[in-house]
Amino acid sequence: MRTVPRNLRVLRRMTAAHIAMSLTYRGVWLIFMAANISVPIISLLIWRTALAHGAQLPIDEQYITTYFVLLSIVTMATSSWLTTFLASDIRLGKLSSWMVRPASLLLNFVANNLSEKVMKLFALVPMIGVLWWAFHDSMNVPAGPSRVVLFVISILLAGILVFTIDILIASLAFWMDDVSALHQARLVIANVLSGSIVPLALMPSWSRGFIDNQPFRYTVSFPVEIVAGDLSSAELLTGIGFQLGYVLVFGVLARLVWSSGIRAYSAVGA
Amino acid sequence: MTSVHACVDQPPVIAVAGLTKTYTFHKQGAGLVGAVKSLLRRTYETRLAVDRIEFTIGRGEVVGLLGPNGAGKTTTLKMLSGLLYPTSGDLEVLGHTPSRRRPDYLRRIALVMGQKSMLWWDVPAMESLLLHKEMYDLTTAEFDRSVTDLAELLEVQDLLNVQVRKVSLGERMKLELMAALVHSPEILFLDEPTIGLDVVAKARVRTFLNEVNRRHGTTILVTSHDMDDIEALCSRVMVVDHGRLQYDGSLSGLVRTARPRKLVRATYAQAVDGSHLAGLEGVIVESGDSDQIIKLEVERERTGDALEQLTRLGPLVDLDVADVEIEEIMRDLFLRRGTLDMEDAR
Repeated sequence: MRTVPRNLRVLRRMTAAHIAMSLTYRGVWLIFMAANISVPIISLLIWRTALAHGAQLPIDEQYITTYFVLLSIVTMATSSWLTTFLASDIRLGKLSSWMVRPASLLLNFVANNLSEKVMKLFALVPMIGVLWWAFHDSMNVPAGPSRVVLFVISILLAGILVFTIDILIASLAFWMDDVSALHQARLVIANVLSGSIVPLALMPSWSRGFIDNQPFRYTVSFPVEIVAGDLSSAELLTGIGFQLGYVLVFGVLARLVWSSGIRAYSAVGA
Repeated sequence: MTSVHACVDQPPVIAVAGLTKTYTFHKQGAGLVGAVKSLLRRTYETRLAVDRIEFTIGRGEVVGLLGPNGAGKTTTLKMLSGLLYPTSGDLEVLGHTPSRRRPDYLRRIALVMGQKSMLWWDVPAMESLLLHKEMYDLTTAEFDRSVTDLAELLEVQDLLNVQVRKVSLGERMKLELMAALVHSPEILFLDEPTIGLDVVAKARVRTFLNEVNRRHGTTILVTSHDMDDIEALCSRVMVVDHGRLQYDGSLSGLVRTARPRKLVRATYAQAVDGSHLAGLEGVIVESGDSDQIIKLEVERERTGDALEQLTRLGPLVDLDVADVEIEEIMRDLFLRRGTLDMEDAR
């Protein structure tokens, strides 16, 4: 079975090339990084100000601070630019040049996604240092190494979940001329339901059942809650189970839609 | 026309029978009204792009796929390379069904599209070549040998480490060919490989492709609107129009069938009167540039008679006998002025 080692070699080469390409456009990368971290930081400052002025919230300053500091890290680690690239490749027929080569089409997207994560590390590591220095007095620290391990596993699963949702949305470009509106709608919904704008703990109590079990919680909020919140062991395990389940469901869905889309591919302009 | 001969005792590398492809698309009227109507009620139309075509291609053949825009030649190429699923019909290339896109199949072919790049634009071409080294399981020795040979043939040694977007169109096409051939494919599909190139670059690409075919026996199927490409490369042409295969045979056969006349141009030392030549059977006298030049279109079998008559008119300075330009023949065919009889052409 030489397929796996070959695919790994191809993936390594592709990832290196994608990183090299990203480094070519330093300005774009810097702006992208700034955009990624600015929303959680601004949110953090707003919520802290609200609390300082006596806002009555069901969560304290310690939770808010930990939540938004970790949010900026998790958002950066899991968000992805894949949908736009992939939908454009499908719509403009650029997929063709990959389809005639003997490697999984998925590899190029994984490489693209990995390179994005590697690039973000350059911003992520110093950012964690700065945030820790600025806010460590008012932050929760993980309750033991097992929480740290769960936190890391949960971030990985969240990254995979976002990746599969990206492929699912982008694959619709096989049938729809333009998926950008759908992509935007998904971003708006995901921003609210993932807890990126408002912590899900602040959502109304009547929506709890839905909010706690919908998939977008597991792309951002859940990993953050592992450290910031007071989830019981049972809740932690259930949460990881839900995350795995959603990865499987969206993975299978993305695979089905993708396979069906390849059959409908019209290789425009190629 | 220098391609190596197909091996007649070997099975064909490409076998196509009843191949058909239809596209479904929605129609939209022009302007805002058309857009709103299309939003509320969408009209779909089915277009037959390829209509039950049949052919076989032997190992080592260089075949030109000709036809006007929208004739179905690129769709055919896409189905052969596995990019598109056929709507119906049988298609076998190197013993594989292309649409399954099995790695064992993709490893043995290459597709170069004049208007689509397989190179990463923001890094040097060498990055893409190294990717192909891994994809096609080439050893370092095989890879180095292949890169050296191809770079020398294409004269691109100095371009391999330059960002692709910094090189000219002609240079990029050479690098595209290099990326496509680094794994020595058995079949090379080319879609408009010289589009947009200047005459020098076109000539180099043609020479290179002839050399690849001669050295490695690579089977080449090429679509092009440039008849010079076809003349320089192809021992056989297939004409597709409205999705149907209208002709399959030699280029000379196509010329004979579509325009069976020869063009004769005689230049004299002094003015001559050639008006009586119009009375000759099978001869059409065209208006000359001056009284010293006579231009005729003559049926092939009457060419000897016409030449004899021309020599009697006066002292000749120059005499030229040629087939009608292939560009003109194709223009006639595409405008439906010409007719084809495939059996006669063969």
